[in-house]
Amino acid sequence: MTPHRRIAVTSPQTRLAHARRRHRTAWRPPTLDPAETRQAQRVYRAQRIPALTALAALAALLFGLPVLLDLTPTWDDVRVLGIPLSWIAIVAVPFPAMVAISRWQLRRAERAEEPE
Amino acid sequence: MIALFAVAPVVLLTLLVGLRGVAAVRTTSDFLVASRRVSPLLNSAAVSGEYLSAASFLGVAGLVVKDGMGALWYPVGFTAGYVAMLVLVAAPMRRSGAVTVPDFAEARLASTPLRKLAAVTVLVIAGLYLVPQFRTAGLVLSVVSDGPYWVGVVIAAVVVSVTLAVGGMRAATYVQAFQFCFKLVLFIVPAIWLLLQVGPQVRHEAVHPVEFTHFTRDTPVDFGLEVTLLLDDPLTVQSATGAPIPIPAGEYRVSEGTTLVFPAGAPVPGVRGGAAPGGPDWQRPLLDPHDAGHPVLGTWAVLIATMLGTMGLPHVLMRFHTSPDGRSARRTAAITVGLLSVFYLFPGIYGTLAKVLVPQLYLSGATDTAVVALPSQVDDGLTGTVFTGLLTAGAFAAFLATSLGLLLVVAGAISHDLVPGGLARLRFTVVAAAAVVVLLALPSARLDAGVLVTWGFTVAAATFCPLLVLGIWWSRLTAAGAIAGVAAGLAGTAGAIAFALFGPPVSGLPAILIAQPAPWAVPLAFATMVGVSLLGRPPAWSQAAMLRLHLRERRDTGRDPGHSSSPTRRSSATRRVIRRLGR
Repeated sequence: MTPHRRIAVTSPQTRLAHARRRHRTAWRPPTLDPAETRQAQRVYRAQRIPALTALAALAALLFGLPVLLDLTPTWDDVRVLGIPLSWIAIVAVPFPAMVAISRWQLRRAERAEEPE
Repeated sequence: MIALFAVAPVVLLTLLVGLRGVAAVRTTSDFLVASRRVSPLLNSAAVSGEYLSAASFLGVAGLVVKDGMGALWYPVGFTAGYVAMLVLVAAPMRRSGAVTVPDFAEARLASTPLRKLAAVTVLVIAGLYLVPQFRTAGLVLSVVSDGPYWVGVVIAAVVVSVTLAVGGMRAATYVQAFQFCFKLVLFIVPAIWLLLQVGPQVRHEAVHPVEFTHFTRDTPVDFGLEVTLLLDDPLTVQSATGAPIPIPAGEYRVSEGTTLVFPAGAPVPGVRGGAAPGGPDWQRPLLDPHDAGHPVLGTWAVLIATMLGTMGLPHVLMRFHTSPDGRSARRTAAITVGLLSVFYLFPGIYGTLAKVLVPQLYLSGATDTAVVALPSQVDDGLTGTVFTGLLTAGAFAAFLATSLGLLLVVAGAISHDLVPGGLARLRFTVVAAAAVVVLLALPSARLDAGVLVTWGFTVAAATFCPLLVLGIWWSRLTAAGAIAGVAAGLAGTAGAIAFALFGPPVSGLPAILIAQPAPWAVPLAFATMVGVSLLGRPPAWSQAAMLRLHLRERRDTGRDPGHSSSPTRRSSATRRVIRRLGR
C-alpha cells in the first residue's frame, strides 16, 4: 500500500448503513411559497413567446427548405464556385441559421429569467 | 497492423483520462452525474463528443454514397435537436433535480408505474443505439486489419465497460470532452488533406457526378456479407488470386468473404434494393430512400425523427444533469449547436469524394467503411497509411464516447430505476449490459448503422419527447395520460420496426411510413397524452410541480444542498457533511 492512499474512516455502523440498500424517502408534493409562485408564473409566461418564436423559425427552416428544393430542381444546375446551389443550400444555410436561432433564444430566455 | 497502431493509443488515452477521474468517485451521484459540477463549455464538448457517434463519423458519408446528397439532411436533424432541446427542455429538465428520465417522470407526476415504463423505454432506445455502435466498431476493425468481425466487437466492449466500471460519469465527462477535440481534428485534417491531394480531376468529378455505370479501372471488391448481384449480360471477373470467374446474366449470389476483381470498362451490376450512386436521383438534395416518389415526406420523416428524438435521447439528457444549474444547462445546449455545426460541415466532403473514389463499396453494402477506405485510394504510400490510421482512430473514438454514455444510461435504468441498488451493483450492471449488447451485435453485421440509429431516434421522439415537452409546459398532464402516451408511442414505433425487420416487403407510401414511423407515431403519442390527460383531473399540486421547473435556482441555500454549486470552494469534508444532511 502506498503511503498516500486515502482511506475512508467510518464507524462500523456507518459501513453497515452504506452496505444496506438505501430506501428512497417518501415522495412529497412540491410546494412553492406565494412569492415564488408569482415569480415562476411570470417567468413561465415570459418564456413562452420567445420559445414559440424560436420553434416556429426552426420549423419554417427545416420543413420549408425541402419543399423549396423540391420545387426548384433547376438549382441543381446553378453552380456557385463549381458546386451545385442545391448542395450548398443543405449545408451552408441550415447550420448558420440554427446557430443564430439558438443564440437569439438563449439571450431572450436568460433575460426573461432575470428577477424584476 | 494499422488497426493496432490506430486503436491502441485511443484505448490507452481513454483509460488514462478516465482513470484521472477515479479518485473523485465516492457516491452514486458522483458515478452517474459527476456530482453536477461541470462548466458549460466542458460539458458541451462532452455532449458533442458523446453525440458524434460512429453514425456521424462514418455513417453519414456512407449514406451519401448509398442514398445520395439527401443524406446530408441527417446531420441537419441531429443538430436541430439541440436547438429544440435548448428551447424546450434543457433548463427545466436540469431544475427538476432528477438524475435520469424515469426520475424526471416520477418527480413531475409522482407515478411509479410511469417510472418503470420510462426505464423500459430507456433500455429499448439504448439497445437500438448501442448495437449499431458495436457493429460499426467491429466492421471497421475487421476491414482495416483483415481480422474477424467478432474480435472488433469484443475489444470494443471490454474497453468501454472497464473504463465505465472504474470511473463512472466523472471519467466519462473528461473522456468525452477530450474525445470531441480528438474527433474534430481527426475528421477535419484528413478532409483537408484529401481535398488537396486528390487533384483537380477528382475534385471536378466530385461536384459533377456521373452515374456509376462502368468500372473505370480494375476494381477489387471485398464482399464481407452475402450479396445478390443482378447482371444484364454475362461477365467474367477475377478472383483475388487471379483465376477467372464467369458470371452468367441474371441473378448471381456472391458468398460471404469473397473478393472479386471487376475489369476496367465492365458494366456495374445492380444490387437488390439500391440504385447506383451518381444518377439524377442521387444528385437531388432530398431523401427518397425507397424510390417511393415522395421525396419531401421522406426528408421530413428523417428530420422529425432526428430532431425530436435528440430531445428524448436518455444519454444526452443525462449529460445536462452534470451542469450545476438550469442556466448552464441551457448554455451547454446552445454551445453544442455551434460545436456540432462545425463538425457537420465535413461529412459532405467525404461523401462526395467517396462517390468518385470508392463507389464500388455500394456493391458490397459496406458503405459505412467509405471514410476509412479513402486515404489509401489517394496515396498508397506511408502518408495514406497514416491517414487511414488517423481516421480509424477517430472512428473508434466516436464509437467509444457514444457507447460510454449509453452504457451508463442502461446501467442507470436497471440499477437506479428498475432494481434500486448501490454503487457496487451499478458497476456490475455496466459489465453485464455490455455483454448483452455484444451478443445482440454479433448477428447484426448486415443491418445499416444509419437505419438502426434512426430507429433509436424514432422511439425516443415518440415516447420521451412528448413526455418531457408536455410535462414541462402543460400543467394539466396527468400520470395516466403520460403512461398512455408513452405506451402508444412505444407500441407504434416498436411495431413498425418489427414489421420492417420481419414483415413482408412493401413499396410506395407505406414503405416510408413503416421504415420511418416518426411522422405518425409522434403526433399519435402527443394526441394520446393530451386526450387521456383531459379525461382525468390533474392533482392539486401539478401547477406547482410544473412552475417549479421554470423557477431559477436560489443562489446560496439551494433546495438540494449537496448539489448546489456554492460549496465547491469548501473542503471535501464539509461537502460530504452537507451532502449527507441533504439526503
